[in-house]
Amino acid sequence: MGQVLALAISAVLLAGFYASMAYGLGLIYGVLRVVNLAHGGMIMASAYLSWVLFTRFNIDPYLAIPIVMVVFFVVGVAMYKGLVRFLPRGAAGGVQSLLLLFGVWLVIRNIAYLLFTGDDQAVRTSYSTASISIFGNSYSLNRVLVFVISLVAVAVLQLWLSRTYTGKAVRAVTENSGSSTLVGIDVERVYALTFGVGTALAGLAGVLASTLFAFNPSFGSGELLKSFVIIVLGGLGSVVGIAVGALVLSFAEIFAIYVVPSYLTAAVGFVLLVVVLVVRPSGLFGAKVLR
Amino acid sequence: MLEVRDLDVFYGDAQALHGMALRVDEGEVVTLVGANGAGKTTTLRAISGLQKVARGDITFEGKSIVGRPGHTRSELGISLVPEGRELWPSLTVLENLELGCYAKSARKHRDESLERVFDLFPRLHERTKQLAGSMSGGEQQMVAIARGLMSRPRLLMFDEPSLGLAPVIVTQVFAIIRRLAREGLTILLVEQNLKKALEVADRGYVVETGSITMAGPARELLSNEGIRAAYLGL
Ligand SMILES: Nc1ncnc2c1ncn2[C@@H]1O[C@H](COP(=O)(O)OP(=O)(O)OP(=O)(O)O)[C@@H](O)[C@H]1O
Ligand SMILES: [Mg+2]
Repeated sequence: MGQVLALAISAVLLAGFYASMAYGLGLIYGVLRVVNLAHGGMIMASAYLSWVLFTRFNIDPYLAIPIVMVVFFVVGVAMYKGLVRFLPRGAAGGVQSLLLLFGVWLVIRNIAYLLFTGDDQAVRTSYSTASISIFGNSYSLNRVLVFVISLVAVAVLQLWLSRTYTGKAVRAVTENSGSSTLVGIDVERVYALTFGVGTALAGLAGVLASTLFAFNPSFGSGELLKSFVIIVLGGLGSVVGIAVGALVLSFAEIFAIYVVPSYLTAAVGFVLLVVVLVVRPSGLFGAKVLR
Repeated sequence: MLEVRDLDVFYGDAQALHGMALRVDEGEVVTLVGANGAGKTTTLRAISGLQKVARGDITFEGKSIVGRPGHTRSELGISLVPEGRELWPSLTVLENLELGCYAKSARKHRDESLERVFDLFPRLHERTKQLAGSMSGGEQQMVAIARGLMSRPRLLMFDEPSLGLAPVIVTQVFAIIRRLAREGLTILLVEQNLKKALEVADRGYVVETGSITMAGPARELLSNEGIRAAYLGL
C-alpha cells in the first residue's frame, strides 16, 4: 500500500509536467488546426537556453522562466508570420504543414548539434539533490517545483481563455472565424498570438525539463509523442481533458512497472495511444473545443 | 450612407455578382429580395469584408471600404446578422454578446449596450449563462441580432433573419426590425419572405443572378404584377 501511494504521488507530479508540455501543442491545434511538429524541437531549444542562461550567466532556471517564455513567444509569433501563415489548414493541408514543421524541427536540431555537440547536458543547481517529504515519502524538490509551476501555468492560461477579452476572442476564432471578423476581431492576429503562446508553453516545458532530465539535441521527440498521446486521450484543446490525459499517461507509465519490464515502460504511452485511436478516435472526452 | 457600385465577386471561376449596385441612405430600411442563389448573401459578405471583391467599389459614409480588412467594419459602424446565425455555440450567451462589442469604440459602452439588448430581448437576460448552442432556433436568432447590436452599428444588415423559424418567432423578429427602424437605425434587410420584407422596408431591390433587375419604393414593388406572379404566387 505504501508503495502504491508513493508511486501515485510520483505519477501526479509527473502529470503536472506532462500537462504543461502538451498544452502548447493542444492550444495550437485547437485554434489553428495545425499540428506543430516543431513542438519537441522548441522544448529542446528551450532546455538549452535554460542551460546557457544558467552556466554562462548564472541565472537560476526557475528565475529564467519569464525570460525564456518571452523569447519563445516572440519566436512563435515570428514563426507564424513568416511560415505557418502560408500553410493550408485542416485536413486538406495536413501533409504540407506536417512536412514543413518537421523540417523546422530538423533545422533546430541540427543547429543545436552545431552549437552544443551531441553531448548530454544537465542543469545542476545547488538544490538539485534537495528533497521534500510528502506523506512519509521523499521526492526531489525539483519535481515538486515543476509540478507547482505547471499547475500555475495551466491555471493562468485557463483564466486567460475564460475571463479576458483576448482569451474569449481566441475561443471565438476557434469556433467561427467569420463571425469573429464580423465583430472586429483580427483573426490573423489571434492566430499569431496563439502560436506565440503555444510556443511560449513549449519554452516553459523546456526549462522545466532542463531541471529534471539530462538532454541533448535529440531531446524532445519523446516529449512530442507524449504530448500527442495526451491530447488524443484528452480531446483536443480542452483543459480538463489535457489534465486527465496527462494523468492517464503518467499513471500508466509509472504503474506499468508492475506488469512489464522497466525497459518497456517508455512504450506504454504509445500502446495507450493506439488503443484509444482504435476504440475512441475522438479521444476519451470527444473532440471538444477550448472551454 | 452605403453605396455599392458595379461589384463583381467570384467564387473560384464562378461569378456570383455581376455589376451589383445598390444604395442605402441614412435612416432608411432597404430590402434586397430574390430567389435562392441570386447573390444576396454574397453582396452582404462583400460589404462586411468577408468576401474578396474583384471589381467595383463600396463606400460607407463617403469613404471607400473595399480592400480594407474585414475586422475594421465593426469599428466603422457596419454590422451583419449573418444567415444561419453563426453564433459561437460553446460560448455562453453573455460571452456571445460581449464579443459583439469587441471593437475598441464599442467596448467602452459594454454595460449600456447590454442593458439595451436585454431591454429588447428580456428572455436573453434570464439566459446569460446558457451555452448559445443549446438554445432554440428562435432564441439563437435573438442572440445573433443582439450580438449585431452590441457594436452600436449605424448600419445593421440582416441576412434572412426569419429562416427556419416558427411563424410566431418570425412575427417577433419583424417587430424588432420595425422597432429598430423607428429608433432611427439604418437597415439593409435580405429576406426570402418577400411580403413581410417589403412591408417593413422603405425601398427594395430585386436581385437575379448577381445583379439588380428591379428597384423602387417598397409599396410599388409589393403591388408590381411581375413580382406578385414570380415571388408571391399571386
Ligand atoms: N462558398 C461558395 N463557393 C462557391 N460558390 C458559392 C459559395 N457561396 C455561394 N456560392 C454561389 O454564389 C451564388 C450566390 O450565392 P448566395 O449565397 O450569395 O445567394 P443567396 O441569394 O444568398 O441565396 P439564398 O437565398 O439561398 O441564401 C450561388 O450561385 C451560389 O451557388
Ligand atoms: Mg443567402
